[in-house]
Amino acid sequence: MMSPWAGVVRAADAFDHWVRDPVDPRPLAWFRSWLGLLSLVNLWLLWPDMPMWLANDGVLPPAVHRELIADTRISIFMITGYSDAAIGIIRGLGLVGGLGLCLGILPRCAAFCVWLAAVSYAHRNMYILHSGDNLIRIGAFFLIFARTDGVFSLPDAVRRRFFRQAPSTSRPRPSLVPAWPQRILQVQLCVIYLVAGIWKAMGPTWRNGTAVGLVLQLGEFQRFPIPEFFMTRFMSQVMTYGTLAFELGFPLLVWIPSLRIPVLLAGLAFHAGLDWVMNVQMFQWLITAYYLLWLQPRRDASPDAG
Amino acid sequence: MPASLFPPKPAIDRLAGGPFLLLGLWQAWDMFSPDPRTADVCVEMRCSDRDGTTERRMLTDMVAMDYSERWRKDRWRKYFNDHLRLDDERVLWQPFAEYAARRLREEGEDPATIELVRWWRNCDPAFRPELRADVRETPWQSYLFHRWGVPREWGR
Repeated sequence: MMSPWAGVVRAADAFDHWVRDPVDPRPLAWFRSWLGLLSLVNLWLLWPDMPMWLANDGVLPPAVHRELIADTRISIFMITGYSDAAIGIIRGLGLVGGLGLCLGILPRCAAFCVWLAAVSYAHRNMYILHSGDNLIRIGAFFLIFARTDGVFSLPDAVRRRFFRQAPSTSRPRPSLVPAWPQRILQVQLCVIYLVAGIWKAMGPTWRNGTAVGLVLQLGEFQRFPIPEFFMTRFMSQVMTYGTLAFELGFPLLVWIPSLRIPVLLAGLAFHAGLDWVMNVQMFQWLITAYYLLWLQPRRDASPDAG
Repeated sequence: MPASLFPPKPAIDRLAGGPFLLLGLWQAWDMFSPDPRTADVCVEMRCSDRDGTTERRMLTDMVAMDYSERWRKDRWRKYFNDHLRLDDERVLWQPFAEYAARRLREEGEDPATIELVRWWRNCDPAFRPELRADVRETPWQSYLFHRWGVPREWGR
């Protein structure tokens, strides 16, 4: 029988391999492209109101902002000072970075641009942020360290199409890349669900099954119509406990390979339902983008170690 | 995560809080928790012009907006409903009133007073379909939480 200490050592070793062993870059590349597209949509939504939220004569003038944020936080405003020129820079960074991520053009630089744009508006006016902004900032930050330039990218496709050196019937296999950015983002997704689930489980309305019924009454969150039978106590209990079960179950069950796809499909259904019922702009789209990191590419196209 | 459930949280916050804030990696996942809000809210701006006319603008009456506008203005809901309306965030009131006055002047008006009003209605613990179908079924209450008399020469 294995001693406890040997068990700890073995678990640590397995964790070390999980973090450090190189992985197929395609899930990261799919995530990168989808995050890039969603960051562009987010930018498009923010664009017209940027002067109101971020400009010196907007709703948060420099004097008030200085009063609210005393510590140092990275942003374009560190370079420009309180200047409205920063809005143009944020727009440019967001646009160039989003396109770069989406098309795989200099993806690490693109990730840096998206991250810098996102932290800049976040640190200039933290009152306008939604959870989707967190997901963009964090996703873009770790994509700065991820090597996805050789896969699922426009330059790569062009290179293969026009500069192929030897005729080949099969697609070239992408090289394996360091796993840790993908692992951190996978853990991040689990942390989100776990923390959200634990917070909810502490609330009386989540424990007595009325929470979702209350949320559905809030006009400010209403989106599309739902069948009338959803507005009953029974359905509120089903949806409330279902939410708790999903948020607390996902971080555990998604690690089990045989359950992974069912759990991800359940998550997609869960967030699609929320997106229909609730007006929460980009969150459902962005959190399900992180699901791409869990996909296992088919073995017949497995990459070469590089 | 609450410190009551995760005792090392304060120590971790002290260690990691600075770098996380610096790099924009801070995060919070507490929407609708520990309990969802039990009141529907929205914010109104009232403007009285020097010519005696009064204009009322509901800033975050999301139900009155069409699907597209309500989606595009989700950040308005965050700013006005989740922050500006609160007494704890009173530091935001006057800057917004001044911003509104500037915008109104650009539209050709001459505001004499800007008033901010919060509206709310309590949710019904007995669920019925009509509670979602028409949020105006139940009575709304309002409270004027900020009033600014715009000096005639202000900003000119």
